[in-house]
Order: sequence, then C-alpha cells, then structure tokens
Amino acid sequence: MTPITPATPASKSSEIVPQLKNVISVVNLGCKLKLMSIALKAWNIEYNPKRCPAAIMRLREPRTTALIFSSGKMVCTGAKSEQLSRLAARKHARVLEKLGFPVKFLNFTIQNMVGSCDVKFPIRLESLFLTHQKFSSYEPELFPGLIYRMVKPRIVLLIFASGKIVFTGAGSKGFEGVKERAVIYEAFENIYPILEAFRKK
Amino acid sequence: MSSRVCRTCGGSDIDVDQARGSAVCTGCGSVLEDNIIVSEVQFVEGSGGVSSAVGQFVSADGPAKAPLIGSGFHTSVGKESRAQTLQGGKRQIQQLGSQLQLNQHCLDTAFNFFKMVVSKHLTRGRKTEHVIAACLYLVCRTEGTPHMLLDLSDLLQVNVYILGKTFLLLARELCINAPAIDPCLYIPRFAHMLEFGGKTHEVSMTALRLVQRMKRDWMHTGRRPSGLCGAALLVAARMHKFRRTVKDVISVVKVCQTTLRKRLTEFEDTPTSQLTIDEFMRVDLEQECDPPSFIAAQHKAKMQQLEQQLAQKLDDVEGQISCYKDEIETELERSRPKLSGIYAAYAKEIEPEDAKALPATPDLEPPEAEDDELRAAAQQLTQDFLCQVIQEEEGRGEAGDDSGREEGEGSQRQAAPLAAILGKLPAPVSLGLQQTFDASEASEEPGDEPMEGGDLDLDGIDDQEIDKYILNQEEVQVKTELWMKQNAEYLKEQQEKEERIKKEKEQGTYKEKPKKAKQKKEPILASTAGEAIEKMLEKKRISSKINYDVLRDLNSRGTGSGGGSSPSRPAPDPPDATTATRKRVARRRRKKASDVSRSLAATTSMIGKRVRHLISSTSKKRKTAVQEEPPTAPKRDATPEPTAEAPPEQEAEAGPALPAPPPGPEVGEEEEEEEVEEECVSALQLVGDYGCEEEEVF
Repeated sequence: MTPITPATPASKSSEIVPQLKNVISVVNLGCKLKLMSIALKAWNIEYNPKRCPAAIMRLREPRTTALIFSSGKMVCTGAKSEQLSRLAARKHARVLEKLGFPVKFLNFTIQNMVGSCDVKFPIRLESLFLTHQKFSSYEPELFPGLIYRMVKPRIVLLIFASGKIVFTGAGSKGFEGVKERAVIYEAFENIYPILEAFRKK
Repeated sequence: MSSRVCRTCGGSDIDVDQARGSAVCTGCGSVLEDNIIVSEVQFVEGSGGVSSAVGQFVSADGPAKAPLIGSGFHTSVGKESRAQTLQGGKRQIQQLGSQLQLNQHCLDTAFNFFKMVVSKHLTRGRKTEHVIAACLYLVCRTEGTPHMLLDLSDLLQVNVYILGKTFLLLARELCINAPAIDPCLYIPRFAHMLEFGGKTHEVSMTALRLVQRMKRDWMHTGRRPSGLCGAALLVAARMHKFRRTVKDVISVVKVCQTTLRKRLTEFEDTPTSQLTIDEFMRVDLEQECDPPSFIAAQHKAKMQQLEQQLAQKLDDVEGQISCYKDEIETELERSRPKLSGIYAAYAKEIEPEDAKALPATPDLEPPEAEDDELRAAAQQLTQDFLCQVIQEEEGRGEAGDDSGREEGEGSQRQAAPLAAILGKLPAPVSLGLQQTFDASEASEEPGDEPMEGGDLDLDGIDDQEIDKYILNQEEVQVKTELWMKQNAEYLKEQQEKEERIKKEKEQGTYKEKPKKAKQKKEPILASTAGEAIEKMLEKKRISSKINYDVLRDLNSRGTGSGGGSSPSRPAPDPPDATTATRKRVARRRRKKASDVSRSLAATTSMIGKRVRHLISSTSKKRKTAVQEEPPTAPKRDATPEPTAEAPPEQEAEAGPALPAPPPGPEVGEEEEEEEVEEECVSALQLVGDYGCEEEEVF
C-alpha cells in the first residue's frame, strides 16, 4: 500500500489481479459413442448432424457447455476456473455413463484460458502501437482494441482504450492456448508498466 | 571481338561491318565472314505507312524459352505456373487499382508486394482477389492515400472483415508495419464528395480542426476514422451555413445513422462544444477528456456500486423495521387482554395453521438444507411468540375476547410477514454459505486430482443432479419423434450412402476413402456439337465473365465448338483405368478446369510430349459430335460400373467406324487404328481448333 517504494512491481502496488473468465479443456472418454442415442435420452443434449458432427451438452452447475464427438473425445467450455472445468467435465462424463456407455476419464488437459482485468485508466492505443509495432496490431477499422502478441510469456492481449485488458491464448500459430493461470499473471506484470507509460495524464 | 587472323594473308586487321554483317580483312580484302548475326533493330512498314520495330518483348523474369508457337498468342502460353500467377495478379492489380484511381507507382509497389506474397506461398488457400485487395490496401496505407478498406470491399462485394483478416495476415508475414490511420487523411476526400463548391477548402480546414480537437479529447481511439470524419464534416458544414443532412453525410462516409448520432452526442459532452464558432477557431482548451468508453465503464461501475449500497441499506432498514415491529407488537400484546377457555383452544388451533403458512412464505432459492433450517427456526420463533401472546392474553382475562381473537389473527398475519422477513434475510447469508461450501469443495479436489488411473472419479458429483438430466421412457419417445422429423433429410442421405456402399462392396469397387456425395449428372443428349455445348452451358456456368448468350451464338455458327466442351465438363476422378477407353476418359476429365485459358496452356505445354493426349481431345471432339446414344453418356458419372459399361461405350465409339459391335479388345485395337489415322490430320486440326478456341475466349 505504500506508494513510496519504487522497488515493488507496479501491479502489486495497484493490487489489480486478472480474473479468469473462461477455461477450455479436452478429455478423452475412451470409448466410441452413439451420438444419436445420447441425444434422444437427455434433455440437455442437442445434436444436429447436418450442422455439426458433435453433440452439444449443457450443464447448469457449473454453467458449462460440452461438445461430444462420436470418437469419444469431449471439449468442455464455459467454466470459470481449472477446478470447475474438471468438475464440469466429470459431470458431463457421468451423464454419459448413466446413459450406458463405458466412459473413462483419460488425458484431461486444459487447452486454453481467458482472463480479463481493468487497469482503471485510459490508454493511448495509437502511441502504444507506434512504439511496439513489432508486437502489436491496431486496426480501428476492423477492431476497436489493440492486439498485443507478447513473446515472453507467449500470450495474446486485447487492450482497449477504456483500460480493460483481455488475456487469451489460442489464436494463430505460435500462440496456442494459455495452459496455466500463472502465465496470465506474468503477462499482466509485464504489460502494466508499458500501459502506465501510455496512460492519459 | 576476338582478333582473328586472315586466312589468306595472315593479317590481323579485320573490319567487321555490323550493318552489312560481314567481316573483311583490310590487308588482302578477302571476305572472312558473311551473314554475321546482326543485332540491329529492323523496321517493318505496316499498313498506312507506319513503321514498327520487329521483335518481341521478353521480360526479365519471363519463361526460359521463347514461345515457339505462332505469333498470335497473347495468353500465357508456354510459361510456368508462377509466371502465369504473377501475370494474372498484375492484371488484376491494374484493374482494381485503376478503379481506385491509384497512380502507377502505387500499382507497381502493390505488384511487388504481390510477388513477395507469392514467393512466400501465402496465396495458397486464399482467393486471389482477396490477396490482391490486401496488397492494394497495404500500398494505400504505406503511401497514406485516403482509401478505406471499405472501398475495396465495396468494389469486390466481399465482407470487409474477411479482407481485413487477409490484410492483417499479409502485413504480419511481410513484416510491413502500416502506420495507424489518421482521420485527417479522409477529410479532403469526403469534403470533396460533399460538394461544398468554392468553400470546400474552408470547410475542410474547419473539419480538420474539429477532428484534431476530437483526437485530443480521446474520441478517436478504437473508433472507425470515417465516423469521426462524418461528424466533423457535418458540424463544419453547419458552421459554414451549408445544409448537409445526416443522410447526405452518411451516404458519403459509409457509416450508419446511429454511429453518427453517437459521435455527435459524445462531442456534445466535451467542453469544446460549449464554445461559439469564433471562440473555437481561436482558442484551444487545455483540458482533455476521457475516452467515452472509459466514462461509460466508470458510470456502470458507479451504478453497480449504488445498487449494492441500496440493497444493503434496504436490508438494514428492514432489519430495523422488524426490530421496531417486534417491540411494538410485544407492547401491544402486553396491553391486550388475555384469552381464556375456548379462545385459548382457538389460539392453539391457529398455531398449526401458522406453522403450515410458514413453509409457503420462504419460497426462495436457498438450497434445501438451509431452507429446512430456516423453516424450523421461523416456526420456533413464531411459536414462542404466540405462546407469549397467549399467556399474556390469558393473564389479562376475558375482557377483550373478540378483539383479542382479531388481534390474535392480526398477530398471525404479522407473524407471517415476520417469517417472510426472517426467511429473506438469511438468503444472502445462505448464498455466502454455499460459496464457502464450493470453495471448500474446490480446495478438496486438488488433493484428489493426482489419482488419474483413467477411471471417472465420482467425487463431488451429486447423482441426483445427474439423474435430473436423463429423460424417462415417454420423454425419450417424444424426443425421438421430434428429432426424426427434424433430421429426416439427413437420415435419408445416410441411408442412401449406406446402400451405395453396400452395393459397391458387392461389386468389389468399394473405396475406403469417403466420397463426396455428388448428384448424378444427367447425360447431355444432343444431336449436334452446338446443341451439346448449349446444354452444357446451361448446366454449368464456367465463368461469370463470359456472356453466355454471345457465346452460344458463336458456337451455333462456329465449327470449333467442340473445344469449349472439352475443358469444362465436370466430373470427379474416375476409378482406376482398366481399358484404353477408360484411360482416355480419365485424361479427358483431368483436363477439366474452370479456366479455359489454363486448359489451353496445359494442353499446349504438353504438345511436345503427349501428342496422344491431344489426339484424345480431338477424338473426343469428334465423339461429342457423334453422341447419339444415351447409354454412352453414363460414362461421365461418378460411379460407373466399369465392365458393364465399357462394351457399350466402345460400341458407341466404334459406331461410326464399324457397324457391328465387336468384343472388347478388338474394338480397342480398332480405336487405336482410328487414332493412328487421325494423327496426320490432328496437328492441323489442332491449330485450327485452337484458333477457334481463342476466338471464343477473347
């Protein structure tokens, strides 16, 4: 809380912590599934084979959506933390188990995480773009935010003029998902001093 | 020039005359060389007395060998694919660039970008026109021309975000950093389009000042520059007494009304808007505003905070009110006469009713466990309260029996809302409890995670909750009916696919890789080549740039019509060729390309190597003219039955040559003979045909 000590990292003194908003994970259920029969036996599963080759299951608690493929692989999205994502995936698998399939829970991995925070001051995106051209992409005609591709750690940040920052991973090649939340925290530590430099005085 | 020695006299003084092309020894006069290759420019007199230089332009990065065939080839004949791509790209750049009124320097730069893109293989999987548009926009950005991506997307009728994606990718791959767009760039262009006449310059200047002011007020960060320009120009026009409506401006600037209004509102919120016109032109306010998105976010946060505070205050106030209520009621009861005898019995009866009423009121979301507790607590409280009341009333005596009963009922009513209040208050508390439960659950799980083993860990999963998701028998039936109805088409397709696979398995030609379900193509029945072409054209549109009516007219007259059909008939790759005919069919089909010129190039490039290839095309042309029997047509289908069809095919083909249909191999031989005969004729025919095809295309 002391503003006088220059040694402490800026973000610690400001006490802003990025919040996780979404966690995407995949798991292998280890058996082939008959999507048609699954879709007919539960009310929270929809299956539209023409549009999408996967069945979509939605869970109320934790509020998540899972894509279930006939090969037995499942993608779970919408959870707010890693533990909740795991719990949700297990619940989805449990539903499938109750429908009569010999499911297992193999290779649960977190594929990507999305976090966001607010630095509470306006940011000059044009100047940031000018100085960090190598890392940033700012096209107001296409998207109102500046897309900053940080090299270390490998993460993509969406920086908006209002001071809100979004941290995410999965995008183009080289920027595959954020697997741990420490990456997000580290990225925030790195970007905060840069953003302060372009703060509106 | 090597100094040669004269053969006769041995002198080394040789005079070479470039013009005459001869080398003469100056000593003895003997001519050493005649007809030296002259590298002078020669002129030829054309029609009308115009002299033109003889020769061809060969570009530095052109093909290694010069075009051999004739001089009438303007297309990229005999060039490699890369050169073709570049040439095509250059043409498109010129076309698009001229529509945008870009100067030649920009177009050249764009072509250079395009060359870089092609060398980095970034055109693969992307439409050329998207790539061209992205290159042009890149040039516009680096040169600072007032062209928007929207203009390009308008010209191409493509979604601007798709173009933007391509543009961003190219910019990243080519490491070209385009500077950020400045709205000031667009002002002169839009001002010109709004037709202010003589005062265009003044209005532009005012608008520029406005835009600069907006920039300082943080209105332009993250916004489309055209919206800002629109707002600035509107205000500037009004300042100079021009009547430009919002509609005029948005038609020029290409934003929608809502956006423009929003920009104007935001500008209104800045302190600059309060100045008069003169003041604005002279004075620059020091203060800079916050960006509107930041202000909106702050506003929202404040509102949320206020709401939270209000909710808390409500709770507090209610708590206070209930305290006061309790006190008032206790006072009232103390002053009321006590019930006795029958009334005591009544009071006791009312109690169980009360107890029943209570569960109805806390009809809220807190989970069941907490609910039960609440109910029990509320019941206990009210029971205590009523006992107290009854005791007091009994003590007081019968004086106010009726009033006591009424008040007893009144106290019931008050007890019920009390229970309601009591029920409500713990709700936030219960939520908090739930959160702590979740948190504790969550903290327990990390301990459980390491035990993977592949089995589904049921820890923390409530079976009842899971069972809620599963339907019972009747529900399953209903859902099945609905789903079948919805997906009837898909199921039918699947059935057909299964049948097809089964049939092919029996046939022994089942291919493992999934086939694309293609519609069975109907055979084109036509008596003449022209008719065949017409029908084919109706069915398949090769290119959007061809005027089919004109083409049809041409074809109905021309003889080289068969050429049009050759590259365009659609069909997938046929299964492995077993017979000679099959091979020919395959080759025929492989030549198909949507681009007629490409097919021309392909065929001519193979001229030296595969004469047979071309012969098949001519023989096919002949065959198209000869198509008489419908059964032959199915050979073009994706799923022919090879053995069964081969004989009829061969029969048909052999038709004109031989009346009787002989068995397979003999026919093959005969066909080959036919082809051999044709060889002599084909080259000429070819040239003639290609001449006709050229006419078609151009």
